[in-house]
Amino acid sequence: MKKILMIILVGLFGTALKAQNIYFTKDAKINFNSSTPLEDIVAETNQGTTFIDLSKNEVKFSVLTTSFKFRRALMEEHFNENYMESSKNKEFAKAKFSGTITTPVDWKSDKTVNAEVRGDFTMHGVTKQITAQAKITPGKAGIAATAEFHIVPQDYNIAIPAAVSDKIAKEVTIKVEANYAPYQH
Amino acid sequence: MRGKFPTFIFVFGLMLIAACPLFGQDLDSLMAKEAKPVTIYTSATFKSTRIGNGHSIEQMKTNQLEFRISHRFGDLNSGGYNLYGLDYGTIHLSLEYGVTDWLEFGIGRSTYEKTIDGFAKIKLLRQSSGEKNRPFQLSYLFSDEYISSTADPLMTNTYSRMTYVQQILLARKFNEKFSLQLTPTYLHRNLVATELDKNDLFAMGVGGRYKLSNRIALNAEYYYVYRANASVLPVTYYNPLTVGIDIETGGHVFQILLSNAQAMREGGFIGNTTSSWGKGGICLGFNISRVFTFNKK
Repeated sequence: MKKILMIILVGLFGTALKAQNIYFTKDAKINFNSSTPLEDIVAETNQGTTFIDLSKNEVKFSVLTTSFKFRRALMEEHFNENYMESSKNKEFAKAKFSGTITTPVDWKSDKTVNAEVRGDFTMHGVTKQITAQAKITPGKAGIAATAEFHIVPQDYNIAIPAAVSDKIAKEVTIKVEANYAPYQH
Repeated sequence: MRGKFPTFIFVFGLMLIAACPLFGQDLDSLMAKEAKPVTIYTSATFKSTRIGNGHSIEQMKTNQLEFRISHRFGDLNSGGYNLYGLDYGTIHLSLEYGVTDWLEFGIGRSTYEKTIDGFAKIKLLRQSSGEKNRPFQLSYLFSDEYISSTADPLMTNTYSRMTYVQQILLARKFNEKFSLQLTPTYLHRNLVATELDKNDLFAMGVGGRYKLSNRIALNAEYYYVYRANASVLPVTYYNPLTVGIDIETGGHVFQILLSNAQAMREGGFIGNTTSSWGKGGICLGFNISRVFTFNKK
């Protein structure tokens, strides 16, 4: 019986360790820029949900496309109505990323590392491989990270009509800023 | 189990399972767990702040200004001498500003009866899905119209030149393509054409849109005007029917339409429409909307 108790205690301890490997935030900032000399197109949200699993170097992101705020209300409406088609179905409502940090990171140090994050980016129902350049600063209380990557709207089946094609950049820059804390369930 | 397993271990095991929901979970299931239900408010029920002539449930958001230019040609049945109405035209200009997301003020000027109008549109309920679910949206519109034309000698003072409009806008965006709006309307004219004309008019508007593509929509709008004594009135009035196409290009919306109403404000098109679709009293018209933003970065 003592053996069983030991197994359970070890199991409990093991699980606790496992939990410490997971970091999380619900208010990651995500912004994108597809400005041209003709039009400033910038939007931001601070409602990105993201996890890092240190044991696997795994990263996940999820954000509602309707949470992006624009300076022009009409632009925000067109972003959701005409381009992202956010309310067309459940899949279109979210943008997601699932990938791994491919550069080794020493999670025990507190030095900023330039790392590469590779994985699947999904939006408008289309998944593509992307590589993001990230800066990761591990720390005792949490992990600070920023990342940047570029996408081409057409790759995600987002049609841009000829009438506005000069106003929207061919390549969109997406920037992410997240301050992770240990995940408490 | 029956005695072989002490009960406390079994209970302890259960507690362990309860205390460690992380056990055996991956990031995907954690993500799903953290995705709290959110409320998504419906937007873009209509492309523009007007369905055709009348107001739609849409209004300018905070610090957005809309400049509208609306134009109606003359009636198609006015003959070749008038180039089937194209020689003639009325214009309505307006500036409409969103003070907050739920309150909009507008001022306008029309060549028809040289009116000046001012209105307030107030969003009372928003349609939403998700955590908070409401299947419809509701707004209230109040508008004052001042007829500045000197054509009617009986309009001797300011009071006699006023018309008041009150509308409830009840709308639902059924899906991405189809939206419908009901617009119960109460109109009060301080001075009417004859003794038989009622100062108070009640009308029910029905308007809808169907999106043909992301940027093009088909609109229709009809106002049923209740006139109990229509048969004895010296002038035959008709209910205004407007059908149009919305074309959206970035910051502009173009509305091209056909209507039997010449006026572009409620007192005119609900109260005074005398042309009939059946008799070819149809005019071609368009509305152009341009939105300016005064939001700081």
